[in-house]
Amino acid sequence: MYDTGTFIAGQTLIYKLDPRVKLAFTVTLSIFILWASPLPIFSLGVILLLTALTNGITLRTVGQSVRPLLLFIILIFLAHALFASEVEGALFVSYLGISLGGIQGGFIAVWRFLCLIVAAVLLTMTTAPSRLVAAIKYFLHPLKFLRVPVEDIAVMITLALRMMPALLLQKKKIERAQIARGGGLRRFGLWVRAKYFLSLVLGVLLGTFRRADELALAMEARAYARGERTSAVELKIRQVDYLAILLFCLMIIIFIALNLFLS
Amino acid sequence: MISFKNVHYRYEPEGIEALRGVSLEIKDHEHVVLIGPNGCGKTTLIQHLNALLLPAVGSVTVDGLDTQQAHNHAKIRTLVGMVFQNPDNQIIGTTVEEDVAFGPENLRLPPAEIRKRVAEALDRAEIGDLSLRNIENLSGGEKRLVAIAGVLAMRPRYIAFDEPTAFLDPAAADRVLEIIDKLRQEGIGIIHITHNMAQAALAERVVVMNRGIIFLDGTPREIFGKADELQQIDILLPQVTQILIKLRKSGLPVCTDIVNVDEAVGQIQGLIKKA
Repeated sequence: MYDTGTFIAGQTLIYKLDPRVKLAFTVTLSIFILWASPLPIFSLGVILLLTALTNGITLRTVGQSVRPLLLFIILIFLAHALFASEVEGALFVSYLGISLGGIQGGFIAVWRFLCLIVAAVLLTMTTAPSRLVAAIKYFLHPLKFLRVPVEDIAVMITLALRMMPALLLQKKKIERAQIARGGGLRRFGLWVRAKYFLSLVLGVLLGTFRRADELALAMEARAYARGERTSAVELKIRQVDYLAILLFCLMIIIFIALNLFLS
Repeated sequence: MISFKNVHYRYEPEGIEALRGVSLEIKDHEHVVLIGPNGCGKTTLIQHLNALLLPAVGSVTVDGLDTQQAHNHAKIRTLVGMVFQNPDNQIIGTTVEEDVAFGPENLRLPPAEIRKRVAEALDRAEIGDLSLRNIENLSGGEKRLVAIAGVLAMRPRYIAFDEPTAFLDPAAADRVLEIIDKLRQEGIGIIHITHNMAQAALAERVVVMNRGIIFLDGTPREIFGKADELQQIDILLPQVTQILIKLRKSGLPVCTDIVNVDEAVGQIQGLIKKA
């Protein structure tokens, strides 16, 4: 079962917030995470993690979300550690030129990245995809005047959200089939692994095309046609949203003040 | 009523014809089962029912609406629902209620009406408790019921099922068949493809296809009474009929045109009493 980042029904306060509010919070937080200095980022990360834990998202789920990006995270860390420009007072650990400042920079960059992941997981796991899509559609609405096909984009996002876990499951199934026949990516040398990787990619791709074909047919059978559609979701800002916006703004102001004070 | 008149269809311009002059009428509220060997044109035929495929020659009309007319398609697709063989490739939403809402949303119904229809469809498919569940976490049988609910939300008059119990364990298959039977009793016309002859025996009418034509058409009793003709196209009789034929061959005076278990039990009990 693949459930990382996918919606799980719940009853806590965060579930009840309007998806537009949550989406706006996530975007604001993302900008702040990329901009602010280390100490506020560290505190924000702790707050995000605590919010996630109190809303039914376990450390294991966060770990599962991080795992596929582990290589990327290591690269971020190494890039900072090896190529840090600020080496004033640096302690050179080895001939590779790794400085203490670089390592510190690497940790901060990785922490920022982890904060972004937790914020995204918090949004996607506590918001039903249809509500999330309705919120995206709401923010994209002005683009309709530029003839951007907002309705079609919304359907594409719905399908992407539905198909991502399904495709990952399919990849796992093909991998298992390869292992069952004595193959797979784990055992052999680089060349053989490359060969199995290619057959895995081809298998997933072919399966995806077949699936897309059948899905298009099924959509047509249920009277789908490009253009205007209605939605079961009705977005409404309520008292609890206003309260959340107030608290969020207060938190961001405190963090910005802290950031300015520290810099 | 759904009417096929001399329908021909081929997938490739130079390929063999998947349908070769099919003429068929399906009445309102009728329960029709389509059987036949793989590749005989069953799926091609039911995909003509809601204008997913259009006849190259001939015509298909649903309640008087010609499928060749593009402006009829939206109406035809609300009249005829389609449940495909693999629910994974049919389910569009990430959660159950989102998927069930997909059809009514396409019909541009107001949000309150969509929510009403979703609740009603989930109730009819007896999966109200799954409404907020993620599709990926459902069993094969539950996914099949979600696909049925998605079709029911369109309030169709007919539903075509393409092997609705394929790959399901017996308990899940029974649950799906119970729902189909309930829908039939509610007055929805059922067109049902199956390879399971025990299921075919429960229908009002059995249509046997072979190589793109209607090979046989009649009640289960009439169809399964033609054992020799069915054997020509490698279709097995229901197990219960096979047992009675073997008993008959061994000298016991039983009727062999029986297709369901209850009647067979009655026959055998009658024999025991006589003995």
